[in-house]
Amino acid sequence: MTRRESRTTRAYRRLLRLYPRAFRERFGDEMLAFVEAQSRMPRYRGAGVVCLWARLAMDLTRAAPRSRLDALRDRRERKNEAAHVGWASQTHPEEEVVETLAQDIRYALRTLAKRPSFTLVAALTLALGIGATTAIFSAVSAVLLRPLPYPDGDRLVALWASSGGRTTERLLASYPDVMDWRGRSKTFEEIGIMRSQSVNLTGGDRPDRLIGSFATPGVFRVLGATTALGRTFNDSEATPGRGARVAVVSHTVWRERFGRDRSILGRTLILNGVPHAVIGVLAPSFQSPFGPDEVWMPITSIPSSSTFDRGVSNVWAIGKLRPTSSVDAARRELGAISAQLASEFPNTNRGVGAIVVPMREQVVGPMGAALLTVFAAVGLVLLIACANVANLQLARAASRRHEIALRAALGAARWRIVRQLLTESALLSFAGGTLGVLFAKWAIGVLVTLVPGGLPAFGDVGLDRNALLFAAIASAVSAVLFGLAPALRAARSDLRDTLNARSAVPTAGRRFGAGTAVMAAQLALCTMLLITAGLLGRSLGRLRTVDPGFNPNNVLSAEFRLPAVKYKDDASRAEFFRRLIPALRAIPGAKSAALVGAVPLSGNWSGSGYTIEGRPAPQPGAESRVQYNTTSDAFFRTMEIPLLAGRDFDARDVRGSPPVAIVNQTLARREWPKESPIGKRLRAAGDSTWMTVVGVAGDVKHLTLADPPTAQLYMPMLQSPNIFSSVVVRAEGEPAALTAALRNAIWSIDRDQPVWKIRPISALVDFSTRQQRFTLMITAAFAGIALLLGAIGVYGVMSYAVVQRTREMGIRIAIGARQTQVVAMVVRRTLAVALAAAGLGVAGALATTGLLATQLFGVAPRDPLTFALVPLLLSSVAALAAYLPARRASRVDPMVALRAE
Amino acid sequence: MARSRSQPTELVPLTPVVLHILLSVADSERHGYAIAQEVEAATDGQVHMGPGTLYGSIQRMLASGLIEEVSHRARDASHDDERRRYYRATPLGRRTLELELERLARVVGIARGKRLLRDPKPA
Repeated sequence: MTRRESRTTRAYRRLLRLYPRAFRERFGDEMLAFVEAQSRMPRYRGAGVVCLWARLAMDLTRAAPRSRLDALRDRRERKNEAAHVGWASQTHPEEEVVETLAQDIRYALRTLAKRPSFTLVAALTLALGIGATTAIFSAVSAVLLRPLPYPDGDRLVALWASSGGRTTERLLASYPDVMDWRGRSKTFEEIGIMRSQSVNLTGGDRPDRLIGSFATPGVFRVLGATTALGRTFNDSEATPGRGARVAVVSHTVWRERFGRDRSILGRTLILNGVPHAVIGVLAPSFQSPFGPDEVWMPITSIPSSSTFDRGVSNVWAIGKLRPTSSVDAARRELGAISAQLASEFPNTNRGVGAIVVPMREQVVGPMGAALLTVFAAVGLVLLIACANVANLQLARAASRRHEIALRAALGAARWRIVRQLLTESALLSFAGGTLGVLFAKWAIGVLVTLVPGGLPAFGDVGLDRNALLFAAIASAVSAVLFGLAPALRAARSDLRDTLNARSAVPTAGRRFGAGTAVMAAQLALCTMLLITAGLLGRSLGRLRTVDPGFNPNNVLSAEFRLPAVKYKDDASRAEFFRRLIPALRAIPGAKSAALVGAVPLSGNWSGSGYTIEGRPAPQPGAESRVQYNTTSDAFFRTMEIPLLAGRDFDARDVRGSPPVAIVNQTLARREWPKESPIGKRLRAAGDSTWMTVVGVAGDVKHLTLADPPTAQLYMPMLQSPNIFSSVVVRAEGEPAALTAALRNAIWSIDRDQPVWKIRPISALVDFSTRQQRFTLMITAAFAGIALLLGAIGVYGVMSYAVVQRTREMGIRIAIGARQTQVVAMVVRRTLAVALAAAGLGVAGALATTGLLATQLFGVAPRDPLTFALVPLLLSSVAALAAYLPARRASRVDPMVALRAE
Repeated sequence: MARSRSQPTELVPLTPVVLHILLSVADSERHGYAIAQEVEAATDGQVHMGPGTLYGSIQRMLASGLIEEVSHRARDASHDDERRRYYRATPLGRRTLELELERLARVVGIARGKRLLRDPKPA
């Protein structure tokens, strides 16, 4: 009697194929009956089926390989018996495995050596894919995976102020606000306050500049800082009103500037004109999260005395969360505290909130997204490389059909043939992986020097253990990806058919063989990469043609900061500037020169809210915002920024004269769309004096070339002289030639005044697009490689297809097809595949290029031109790659082709 | 088959699975599923055999001549499944089993002598 099989039994029937055929034939039915009986047991009914399957799976993994080995040993023994007609020696299974493996490897090496060109192309293709992926992985690992070099680094956050509820714009915080956050918060273990600035170091041979950091001791506690010598400063030394003049130097400064002199403790450094006693040297492992800070002083040493006023925002804050707390909890809590502060200090704190950013995100910034983009791109290249090698394997497997069929006929089990082919794949991927690691080592070196501003990684970026592990895994996965399908296919091929017909006539449904699918897949991936590169390229092109609003050529810039103790008041600073300007204009070769608070694209900038006279005053914190800058006269002429109306600042605009301002076009249009802004008055938020608009200047790209038109406001430097200032000098010729003269001009006014960042403004413009150029360069390189690989892939597949269809070609020619018709036929079919693949790629790109939006400028993520051109390019390349084998096919002699059967 | 001429001494010690299968078919002929059930019951579920393990072992035991397939088995009419085959221990199998059991008994004896194992309490 027969009952219907259970589902479990039916599934198990398929798994039986894992056992050797002889075993299956002998015991298969019994095993099925066994499973059938078990599946009817009450304890394996319902949810118990999971338990049954767990047991069956365990049984299978244990028994099937053993059974295979037994079968192998049996066959060997039979052979030995045949040879010796004697007793078979008993071999242990382990020996057997090792021996078969060695045999497989020997055979694989021989086979690979027989086809050196195939082996070389395949190994190099893989090396490229694995190497590129490993190199980028090293960077990803160093930047995104490696723990931050602070104890409990995952609990560290950066704290910023927000205005009007906008959490995307991270603003400097106000010292008293942060102290209140610290005092009232329960989610933080500690909050520290710091601000890095250039610091003048004098008293040596010549004035110099250090990167200084003014901090509360909380910063050291948050970062878990330790010292190599001495100590860091304590809370009482950093309390406003009683701050001590002490300094802690970084290990690098101690080593390079003081030659590891242990007597540095107790020595006095003149920093910003004030003597500071050195009390400690930080441990070599200590790194500031915001940059290479060289000397640390209590926050009370900060030059701007208004730092401790509520409403003055110029500090950074970092915090360490309690172990039981979370970023979200901290956000909620600081939000509530900010609301309290807003009601307690409505004049200064209305609309002021807090932004909590995990430290990793703060440090990595937009580089994280860029890196992941590139990683995705190389991942695709690796996939394409695998697809290509799979293609080559498929083509080769076809030419090895007879060999494989013969081996099967001579008694090689199918799994043994699969294993043999997989061994070849493993060897290939091992070779590819080894070459790839060498390639990665080189590529990482190049990458590190190319990345704009360096990778935001703590510690070295290199081939560490993780990267090597990654390369090994990538190789292994590749081997399976490109090896399994061809191997299974080769082993499945029908013996009799293969041995009977010397070349099988493909059936109508499978005209191009299985390689077509692989080819289409890689062309689709290639399309996606090309579209990405195209979008980035068009974006960069747009960026480079952006008018920055000034002429960057032949202008030299430099920065300096007057020490606040020496230039205590506006009068002394204004005097310095008043004397410096003629000294700069007297430089031989200088066409014009000016002073400016912040040079466009230099990274320096200031922003503020503003109000217009005679209009209802907006809520504090809700004012419209403007970038503001201070300039001397002739700044617009020097930079060649057009002055559209009114006048430039001049000798009238000095301390004590009526305050004036120049607005840019965007501000003028925004506030006075229908009238002239000249003569109108406005003032900065929190300021009490009205400034009269005397001129309108053109818009300038100040932060990046991608800036949207932004409201900008200029004030005369001599009316509000800041301690930090920059110099711009337009040269007759090469601007760098004026470097020494510029420095001397400053030293002619003050021998002790350091000056730094002396660089041409054209370099700043170049620098501002480095990020985009870098991303484009990498993506374009990979897209180019992918296209090349794709072309090779098409060539391989079509060559194979053409060889397979030699007879068909012969018949067509014999019955009167012309050569061009045969070529057209092959190319047309390739084009059909290429277009379908491009369609897939376009669909994929449409779905994913949205992720690129932040990297694009002036180009939509679905830019029609790019999406139209890429498929065109791809199809042309595919057609070209197919043309060569097609032409070969068209020259087939019909008689030869038909006789070949 | 090649290893059918083995001597019992070459075949011990037996793996637990082989030992239990031999025990199961020493006194009567059984089919595979019945062997698995009996072993599981006799060992309180401690020795659980899946189909692969069971028939893999049966194949090896057939090859080394420990068991044999019964050619003229009495058909138990109603509950029989025509796919089932019955196995029983060969004389070689029985000698091997005796050898193995003596070996185990000696081991148990040594353990008792050292007071590593308590005598089974009379029921």
